[in-house]
Amino acid sequence: MSKKFAEEAFEYLICHAHILLLILLTLSISTHASQQGLGSHLNSLHYLLLNLSFIHYIKITFLLLIIIKLTFSFLIKPPTVYLLDFACFKPPPRFRVPFATAYEHGRLILASEPKSIEFQLRIFERAGLGEETSLPHPLHYLPPRPTLIGAREETELVIFSAMDSLFQQTGISPHDIDIVIVNCSLFLPTPSLSAMVIHKYNMRSNVKSYNLSGMGCSAGLIAIDLAKHLLQVHPESNAVVVSTEIITPNSYMGKERSMLLPNCLFRMGGASILLTNKTSLRKHAKYSLLHVVRTHKGGEDKSYGCVMQEEDSEGHVGIALSMDLMVIAAKSLKSNISALGSLVLPVSEQVSFLFNFLARKIFKLQWKPYIPDFRKAFDHFCIHAGGRAVIGEIQKSLKLSDEHVEASRMTLHRFGNTSSSSVWYQMGYIEAKGRMKKGDRVWQIGFGSGFKCNSVVWKCNREIEAPKIGAWADRIHKYPVFVPEVLKL
Amino acid sequence: MVSSKEESLIHDIKISTVGPGYVSGQGAVQELTSMDLAMKLHYLRTTYYFRSQALEGLTIINIKETMFYWLNHCYIPCGRFRRSESGRPYIKCNDCGVRFIEARCTITLDEWLELRDDARHKLLVPNQVLGPDLSFCPPVLMQLTKFKCGGTSIGVSWAHVLGDAFSAAGFMNLWGQATKRQYPTQPLRMTRSDNMGHNPKSPIKDPLAVKRVGPVGDHWTSSNHSKMETYSFSVSWPELTRLQSKICGDKNHQQMPPFETICTVVWQCVAKAKHGSEVKVVTICKHGSKKIFEGVITNEAQFIKVVKTESSVEESSLMELGLLIMNQGVDVRRNVKEAMETNTELPDFLVYGANLTFVDLYDVPFYELDVRGQTPVYVNCAIDNIGDEGVVLVLPARKNHSDGMTVSITLPTDHISKFRSVLKKEWSL
Repeated sequence: MSKKFAEEAFEYLICHAHILLLILLTLSISTHASQQGLGSHLNSLHYLLLNLSFIHYIKITFLLLIIIKLTFSFLIKPPTVYLLDFACFKPPPRFRVPFATAYEHGRLILASEPKSIEFQLRIFERAGLGEETSLPHPLHYLPPRPTLIGAREETELVIFSAMDSLFQQTGISPHDIDIVIVNCSLFLPTPSLSAMVIHKYNMRSNVKSYNLSGMGCSAGLIAIDLAKHLLQVHPESNAVVVSTEIITPNSYMGKERSMLLPNCLFRMGGASILLTNKTSLRKHAKYSLLHVVRTHKGGEDKSYGCVMQEEDSEGHVGIALSMDLMVIAAKSLKSNISALGSLVLPVSEQVSFLFNFLARKIFKLQWKPYIPDFRKAFDHFCIHAGGRAVIGEIQKSLKLSDEHVEASRMTLHRFGNTSSSSVWYQMGYIEAKGRMKKGDRVWQIGFGSGFKCNSVVWKCNREIEAPKIGAWADRIHKYPVFVPEVLKL
Repeated sequence: MVSSKEESLIHDIKISTVGPGYVSGQGAVQELTSMDLAMKLHYLRTTYYFRSQALEGLTIINIKETMFYWLNHCYIPCGRFRRSESGRPYIKCNDCGVRFIEARCTITLDEWLELRDDARHKLLVPNQVLGPDLSFCPPVLMQLTKFKCGGTSIGVSWAHVLGDAFSAAGFMNLWGQATKRQYPTQPLRMTRSDNMGHNPKSPIKDPLAVKRVGPVGDHWTSSNHSKMETYSFSVSWPELTRLQSKICGDKNHQQMPPFETICTVVWQCVAKAKHGSEVKVVTICKHGSKKIFEGVITNEAQFIKVVKTESSVEESSLMELGLLIMNQGVDVRRNVKEAMETNTELPDFLVYGANLTFVDLYDVPFYELDVRGQTPVYVNCAIDNIGDEGVVLVLPARKNHSDGMTVSITLPTDHISKFRSVLKKEWSL
């Protein structure tokens, strides 16, 4: 009891140190001033200055420095980027693929490879996917029939549904969009997907469009980063970011076990997000963007090679995942949170971490490394639902509770691994559950090939009512569901 | 036999699976009754033919969408078989779905229907059986074939273990309703099993109605000793009246119902065609009142009667045979169920074709399949995987029953031609 009290007192003191210092300084100066007596104001000031000792000059200098710093940061602060609203694609029932069907198809296609079939069964049993994930129509065929037309149809369905919902929810007209950024890793037709969006919605001819491809599952957060930089340069603008992964062209037709995993996990999904720096929309915006931290481990061979698109021995193209994936992901997360920590952690945690670091490295004390408690920095966590193992690993590393990773797990269950849009389904889950409160801080973490780990931090800007429409609206009352460790077919 | 020329008319085959669009079966266990398991080796293959208006303007995705909604209410046929610890098969309602095959035909619908070969309908319906990988075989398969003129055929393969022909037709008619966005209030269900339970004691002798085969294990099929061939002929109402009068004499012809009339005639013709090997036992399958079983798929509704005669069928009078058929048969379903349950290992039976079997499908609502306001122009139905003694199906010729009936007989190839000549000679059919 007393230990807890001491901890909380320490935390409070450190976090509010600068304010306390400010108050102390002001009190001390005014006390001295009153001690000196106050005649007329001008006289007293003149008198004050003459009678101040060296100590008082130091205090005043500190006070002025703090005031200057605050003014300076206020003046050069880049415009805040706000998230007006976002919308996630809800797959229609005709694309549903239950566990049994996915496995049966896999079994029929891999009929000559019993070991691969068994491997695939083990993945399905432990994947954490539910019975309502969706695949596009060409992949319902035996064998799958991926065509360019099929891929375009999927793209149009996913992106246009999400964008129609977004425009409806925000009331913004496509004509008011100044920046369009689309990220889709593995489908890159000509004209680009951003051109497809501009064409469909007949946007203005001076819209700035960007198309990010090949950047993996964390590309959505990279797109947010790009949007942020653009909005810091272009005043009074709206930017729409579309994050999706088009599954049609990417079904792996071979039998290599290291390449079968994506077939089992990746599912249809997409999200569109409206960002703005317009002062008129500030009050309506759901979130404000606080930080983006990007970490790229591509300089190391192992990290670079752990998620690799290649041809197998029979010429089938697929994405090979290395056995070191979990280890590499954990390392990249560590790098990322080291950088993120100094931006988001309360000063108390940073001081404790610094103290612990110095003790171990400089004084060589045998202390356990201090892992900052990120639960103190954030209220909600959106961890890319790459797979059950990834979520479990991160939960362990960051010492998160089951409720913290609930959004991740339930998104994996309901929608599967939707790649870059996964973090948005999770935001949608938290909102649909009515858990998002004004002032809450949300941490979105994305992992992807490269190997990249990207973090985006949002702050909830206003009260958010649980949405009545949207990807989760019809099912949210059934969640959370219990996902067994092994789901028997 | 289907000629290779006809086979080449069908091309551009694509296979996929459609299932319930929402979680429906929830992995529930559906027990199978003894009667279901007694019928498990048979398959109903029905082909519905539609003019182009029925599915005009619909893409394949539109059509599949109607099916995803339809199957939300019909999740039992979308399940897959499993075996319990005792080895007894049951259905796990895991929403796995129905196999769906798309095909194209190079000729028009009318040209196709005018072809002579009765076996051609087989090309438009999937011919798979359950097994050997029993847990991953769909009990229901469908084939959508598009003709050159835009007409379409829907071929449905229905494992008899799910239910009889009335059940199969009822299931399909729900799809028709779904194309008009009408859905049943309750999902399709199976009758609750009135199993006497597996009770192995000293096994009783197999009833006459069945032929024991196998053991087939997980591959629910059997092979025939001889090649089987199907011949269909139609019997209009005036012709039926003529048959009835020939059997009963002019005064009494109204006393013999149509189905029994056909049975009598065909029984004797087959006996004459098989001159030498006797046809002293026949099985008659008729349906109970279909009202009780609406919304249900079941094998419990079909009566199975065995009719035996000691005298030579060829020489008996038609009236005698007719009276035997109408009055003698005893419902042997209980015997069949007992035979299933009193063996240590569940036996494998053939019911259709164990003896010459007559199946009354006249009242099956084939022509009530209403797809966006259109009903079929023609429906063909066959039972696959039957015994060597052969099967005779009595089917409605057209909707409204205005055209009389179609009789479809499947016999070993050697006997079919003789049968046809007897039929022509004696009955001018």
